[in-house]
Amino acid sequence: MLKVKKLLLLLFAVPLLLLVACNNEDETSAPEMDKEAMENFNETGYPIVDEPITINFMTRKPPTTADDYNDVLVWKTYEEKTNIKIDWGLVPSEGFEEKSNLSLAGGDYPEAFYTAKFSDVDIMKYGEQGVFLELNELIDKYMPNVKQLFSEHPEIKKALTNADGKIYSLPTVYSPDFTSMTSNIKPWIRQDWLDQLNMEMPQTTEEFYQYLKAVKETDLNGNGKADEIPYGNNSVAGLIGWLKGAYGIGNKGRKQGFVDLDPKTNKLRFYWTTDRWKEMLEYINKLYSEGLINKTIFTMETNEYHETGSQGLYGSTVTTSPETRFGRDEYVGMPQLEGPHGDKDWVYVTAPVVHKAAFVITDKNKNPAATARWIDYFYGDEGAKLFFMGVEGETYEETDNGELEYVDMLTDNPDGLTFEQALRPYITWLGGGYPALVQSDYFKGAENSPASIEATKKIEPDIIEETWPSFPFTVEENQRLAALKADIEKYVIEMQDKFIAGEEPFSEWDKYVETVEKMGLEEYMEIQQAGYERFKES
Amino acid sequence: MKSNGEQLNIPYSKNRKFYRAKKNLFLNWQLYVFLLPALTYFFIIHYIPMYGVQIAFKDFIATKGILGSPWTGFDHFERFFNSYYFWRLLKNTLAINFYQLLLFPLPIIFALMLNELRNGAFKKWSQTLTYAPHFISVVVLVGMLVAFLDPLTGLVNNAIVALGGESVPFLTSPEWFRHIYVWSGEWQALGWGTIIYLAALAGVNPELHEAAKVDGATRMQRILRINLPSILPTVVILFILDIGKFMSIGFEKVLLMQNSLNSETSDIIQTFVYETGLLEGQYSFAAAIGLFDSIINIILLVIVNQIARKTSENSLW
Repeated sequence: MLKVKKLLLLLFAVPLLLLVACNNEDETSAPEMDKEAMENFNETGYPIVDEPITINFMTRKPPTTADDYNDVLVWKTYEEKTNIKIDWGLVPSEGFEEKSNLSLAGGDYPEAFYTAKFSDVDIMKYGEQGVFLELNELIDKYMPNVKQLFSEHPEIKKALTNADGKIYSLPTVYSPDFTSMTSNIKPWIRQDWLDQLNMEMPQTTEEFYQYLKAVKETDLNGNGKADEIPYGNNSVAGLIGWLKGAYGIGNKGRKQGFVDLDPKTNKLRFYWTTDRWKEMLEYINKLYSEGLINKTIFTMETNEYHETGSQGLYGSTVTTSPETRFGRDEYVGMPQLEGPHGDKDWVYVTAPVVHKAAFVITDKNKNPAATARWIDYFYGDEGAKLFFMGVEGETYEETDNGELEYVDMLTDNPDGLTFEQALRPYITWLGGGYPALVQSDYFKGAENSPASIEATKKIEPDIIEETWPSFPFTVEENQRLAALKADIEKYVIEMQDKFIAGEEPFSEWDKYVETVEKMGLEEYMEIQQAGYERFKES
Repeated sequence: MKSNGEQLNIPYSKNRKFYRAKKNLFLNWQLYVFLLPALTYFFIIHYIPMYGVQIAFKDFIATKGILGSPWTGFDHFERFFNSYYFWRLLKNTLAINFYQLLLFPLPIIFALMLNELRNGAFKKWSQTLTYAPHFISVVVLVGMLVAFLDPLTGLVNNAIVALGGESVPFLTSPEWFRHIYVWSGEWQALGWGTIIYLAALAGVNPELHEAAKVDGATRMQRILRINLPSILPTVVILFILDIGKFMSIGFEKVLLMQNSLNSETSDIIQTFVYETGLLEGQYSFAAAIGLFDSIINIILLVIVNQIARKTSENSLW
């Protein structure tokens, strides 16, 4: 009997000991810049390193980009310039969260993450643990472009700084004066249908309702069928983002999805339980129940949305650009609507730092300084030009008045490829989330098309002055907040859809507010307040 | 084989059983060697990873590893039990699984029916046709559901409208979710589920049927008195095995069919674990929920097994 016990003990103890041993090994591998690496490294000028080195990444790969980034013109060019070869470690976007989370939890993570879009919670968590390197010193020493960006736009530095006062990540950042980009999702309407109906451009929520109704009741495309969809989309988010400004809520921009500043009391408020929010939902519910919004809005996939859009059936929609998405040019931008209480603010605008963590360097990185210089390039003019436009003569040309233009081979491909398909072998920015500075001069995507610029002009006068980035929270606050968010935010979003779809009658509103309060709204707001104050003071 | 143990002097009777086992092991060691690979497999693949379950009671920090992370006791469990969604998740998970369990007799009935078919060709065709859906992947199946049940362009709703009814938003209605989930699953699994029962039915002694015929038993009587009792042991074992995976079925399908409008009934423990664990990286919390899920499952399994042993002498252990 004893022997069996001993045997069992041994069986369980051996693997445990092995695991402990493995564990200890991990702890000793602290980051350090060894001498050899520093000798190879040039603080200024190119190449960045004398002897070629390889850095391994994990990269979120959008479906629109090439299958091997090392074959892409931009990266081949940059590798020659820097002597740094990148092992990209491409992971398809849909599986990226899962894969990156698991690699971080398992300790088997790469030297850097590219196009990562880590959440604030992750940045803070892995930053404090030392997995993500603190970048303040690296920025100061080796990243002149980022440094300059910080001094020109202190709000960008503020947005990147965490609760502990440190920076762990580099962002996707839109130049604040590039408004067509910071408000990239805009309302669109069919001008030809407005003309046919003899209607003026809707200026208020009521006029918009009248237009939708008229579209529903008139056979505008003249095919004898009532197949026109007055407002069509594959999510209610766009419509809500736009209408919030007409009801005076969400007044600090898109990055703060749940709290804003109460204009009466000048205090932080949770606007999803306000009367204005209710009024807005009632308005959308009216549209939905009268069939002015497609019934499939909650279940539709993106490609389905594009497909219906390309048939020209939508009377209006909220998207980046119907021109590039549906290939239709009948749509023109709409202004910010005025609500029943006279509110007229364009609040669907993002803070310049769109993704706080598009790029992070981990403690496994053997050449942090070289990596820092490598990435810094894309926050400057020269790098942005290479990243977005490619190589002069091959992918773009400079016109006489100094504007950059893609060559005809890309815009009007002889093999009949679309612009995005033609771009694939040359650049990788399609799909977004990249660590770089997006400026109007070098970014020639859908947001910079003449129609988008035109549409932006319509909303520009009403754009709110101040947009908040996400607030910096400590690890403890994040932990508590995660639990509260899992209940509160999940619940209010679910109820929003239910109120709109009419599954929950508005007579249940008080019960809804009560439930949110019971879920711990008070504590939720206390934490938000702490983050808000930290943000204000930083 | 007569045991030699009786001829030996054994000081303590409680050691006797153990001694006999040892003797057995010694005499038939070759057989045990054959068993070794399977045991090693289970130990390495299924038992060693279990040490990771401890993160359910810890605050898992990647850099400190599983063993180095600080203990938090039952914090994660408390958070889950106190969550607003706890009861809804539990209710939905149990409801879907019990609903599915209600359909357990269908393959049995179908197998009994197939077994009565005389026409060989027709029987083969029916079998093949009902097996076929089994090979459709979950993603494709949900794609088919979305296409067929679309409120505007779907086949089903067009038929309803043509018959004078009103279009039903099947996929966004909480009251429809369970039916669609369970019955589409049954459509896929029915034919496949009959295979084992048909095999069991093939083993029924034909003499029993002949004797019954001579005694003037009707066909229905023969099915109920001969076929059904003969396959009952198989039925019981399969039922227990089904209970074994009670809490863990169909996670992908639920996730694919879920949207904010039907989450009232479609939010289940597994999808919640996926959201919090893999997508938000709260491993400890997710592990705690997963462990809770497994415990419910084990309790159910033990209960059903006990009942089966008491009532039918068939059980897993």
